[in-house]
Amino acid sequence: MSPTPAPTPLPPASRPRRALATGCEMIARAAMDVGCRYFAGYPITPASQIFEVMTRELPERGGLASSAPDEISALAWCLGASIRGVPSMTATSGPGWALMVESVGYAVMTETPVVIAMVQRLGPSTGAATGGAQGDVGMVSQAVSGGYTIPVLAASTAQEAYEETLRAFEIAERLRTPVVLLADKEVASTTEVVEPDRLPAPPALLRPTFSGPGTYRPYAFGAPGEVPAFAPAGGPHKVTVTGSAHDFDGHLRKDDPEVLAVLRHLEQKIAGAEASLGRLDLDGAGADTLVLSFGVSSRASREAVAQARAEGRAVAMGNLRTLFPVPRTALVAALDGVRRVVVVEENMGGQYAQVLAPLLGDRQLVRVNGLGKLIAPAEIRHGIG
Amino acid sequence: MASAEILPLLRGELPYCKGCGHGQAARALSQALEATGLPTEQLCLVSDIGCVGLIDALLPTLHTVHTTHGRSTAFAQGLHMADAVLHGGRTKVIVVIGDGGATIGLLHLVAAAQANVDVTVVLHNNHLYGMTGGQGSGMTPADWITTTTRGGNPFPPLDMMGILRASGATHLGRYVATDPRLPEHLRAAIEHPGFACVEVLELCTAFGVKFNAMNARKLKDLAELTGQPLGELATPARPSFAEAWRQHAPAPAPPRPFQPIAPTGTAALDRPLRLVVAGTAGEGVQTAASLLAQAAVGQGLFATRKNDNLVTQGSGYSLSEVVLSPEVVHFTGIGVPDLVIATSQDGLKRTAKAVAAMGAGGLVIVDEGLDGLPGTAARVLRLPLRKLAGARSAALAGLALALKETGAFAPAHLLAQARTSLGEGGAAAVSAVEAWVGA
Ligand SMILES: Cc1ncc(C[n+]2csc(CCOP(=O)(O)OP(=O)(O)O)c2C)c(N)n1
Ligand SMILES: [Mg+2]
Repeated sequence: MSPTPAPTPLPPASRPRRALATGCEMIARAAMDVGCRYFAGYPITPASQIFEVMTRELPERGGLASSAPDEISALAWCLGASIRGVPSMTATSGPGWALMVESVGYAVMTETPVVIAMVQRLGPSTGAATGGAQGDVGMVSQAVSGGYTIPVLAASTAQEAYEETLRAFEIAERLRTPVVLLADKEVASTTEVVEPDRLPAPPALLRPTFSGPGTYRPYAFGAPGEVPAFAPAGGPHKVTVTGSAHDFDGHLRKDDPEVLAVLRHLEQKIAGAEASLGRLDLDGAGADTLVLSFGVSSRASREAVAQARAEGRAVAMGNLRTLFPVPRTALVAALDGVRRVVVVEENMGGQYAQVLAPLLGDRQLVRVNGLGKLIAPAEIRHGIG
Repeated sequence: MASAEILPLLRGELPYCKGCGHGQAARALSQALEATGLPTEQLCLVSDIGCVGLIDALLPTLHTVHTTHGRSTAFAQGLHMADAVLHGGRTKVIVVIGDGGATIGLLHLVAAAQANVDVTVVLHNNHLYGMTGGQGSGMTPADWITTTTRGGNPFPPLDMMGILRASGATHLGRYVATDPRLPEHLRAAIEHPGFACVEVLELCTAFGVKFNAMNARKLKDLAELTGQPLGELATPARPSFAEAWRQHAPAPAPPRPFQPIAPTGTAALDRPLRLVVAGTAGEGVQTAASLLAQAAVGQGLFATRKNDNLVTQGSGYSLSEVVLSPEVVHFTGIGVPDLVIATSQDGLKRTAKAVAAMGAGGLVIVDEGLDGLPGTAARVLRLPLRKLAGARSAALAGLALALKETGAFAPAHLLAQARTSLGEGGAAAVSAVEAWVGA
């Protein structure tokens, strides 16, 4: 191998425009750019900066932002606004998420769009406010009683935080569902380079909406997986919203096949959209080893993979940007020919590895985990073997 | 959804027990809504959980939002705020909640009263949790027997109207369910433009009456016994949420653009430089690190910066971890740093372990007045950072010197960035650092 020349910065004339921003700033900016019109928050490290930016800037841009007296109120206010037809968002960390869970279920049951930026910090209970972690994969993915999937997205850079926030809103509105942007302290609060000209244009928010003719049936869908049309409470069509088991008209029913059809549909519309919701950024093909990671741990993984390649190992790198529904289609393709899968995440025991395990067949699963500190590239390099 | 042709609003058979106050309150509410003459498409009923929550099915022409236990007021507040600010305030929002809902969701009532949102809460107080079997609630009268207070309730009931008055509600009243004027009182509350709550005293025939030998007459006495008077309560007038928002909302402005960093040249740095700058909170450590990152980007480098301090934010150590590199920075961890700058005792204490681990290629710049520098293989420069630049610019001085020593890029770019960003206030300090580093 010839020695690689020392890297040098791009000369000024060919440099893209660059700015510095945190993940939180990019999340807030993306939310406003894509059409979030209501934000309610409650301070909590490391998500507070989203709350601060939104309260400062969203009202300037014609939206509304509120300081709630707790996270229970913050999410309930968002859902009230969304039921009125307004794209809404809140941001929190583990302790606040714990308080929001009741209303996450309500959003699922009532098919109310909302985006929750969930910035993970370390440990149970109050934990360590300024400690980084990726320990809430289980907490967010298993939050809804009855066992319902809510889309959970992840971002490993400030730039990706922008992109995934756009996508979170697009999905929430189109599928009428809560969407969690599962960020982590490191990505949310680290300041880094972003390239404004390389950000995607915000997608249109397309909440399927009833416009007549005929009587509005708030929970009626045609084919399984189809999203029922929305109508705003306060608009011209009579709306019946309910968190109770209901039929197509929103009426409380017991032992009614339509109720069970609705309950199945709530899962089907998300799980069935797996292929289109799944996003796995795959770098490298034909390798026998695949490193899978997300959020902050993808960053160290990229370095470890580069190092392994420099040493002649064939390794592919998959940065998961959709965690749930599990991006089965993309993963099955990525796993083709792979014998060894290294799953890197900053928690005890590998929460996402446990989710992936059933997909891996007889491939070897290597978990690289950590607690209370960043997983270093050398640890991952070791896992690659 | 025109209202005239579909009166009465209340439809179908009432699902309540015979004599249940919920039925009386529901009838009164329906009459009150009819009397307002508001079209049903502008009425949104937000109902809570419990027997009280069965009401949405009885008012099928209104918009109805049946929520979770105690949260009705919070959903209503969000709906109202969005309606008032973003949809011109065309919707009247009415909450129907029980005494149980009022206590499990107490903060939502308090918050709605405080914000004076145009939401009318009809609190159906049957003095216990009806739907779940007559357990005692926070509004159960003292000495009452319920399925969970067999020996009599040891506590006095919460005075919900008192709580809401203290929270800033602008329209409050307490009436018995059998009051023939209840529809009028409810109509006044609905037409009130701020937060209103009407507490309707009721008897749960299934449980309240069963254990406590109550009847409608005694219900009135009960109100006197608890010291919670009937009638409208005096409340001060103040701006509604919508008015207060209009007064306090900022002027419309276009989206704030990115602040791209103008190229200033090309750095010489050809490999990652991982550094920690540490000092005491309030002494400009994080600002200096931020200036460094900006200057580095101007020089074509990639930069990441992470701050750390005690949870109290304003005391103890303060530090920044910065990685500069000619290539994209993936891993932001520092491990053993290439460079440590400590400007205060707090900062040195925080970085001592890292300093001790540093190898021969490393550089440590510490203020000369600090004690406790550990043994290290790194090159150490003890300098009068604080004396020369002042405590608040010691970190900037240390970073400027570090740039000179490492040759990453010319310190002049950091100082130019400092001059622009710090303005007048920082000019003297920047000049002092400049003179010193140049020397
Ligand atoms: C969070 C939660 N806890 C408990 C319950 C169970 N629950 C259903 S109805 C009810 C009592 C409601 O009492 P109240 O609000 O006074 O209404 P009432 O039935 O007396 O009309 C309770 C506790 C619930 N639905 N949700
Ligand atoms: Mg009750």
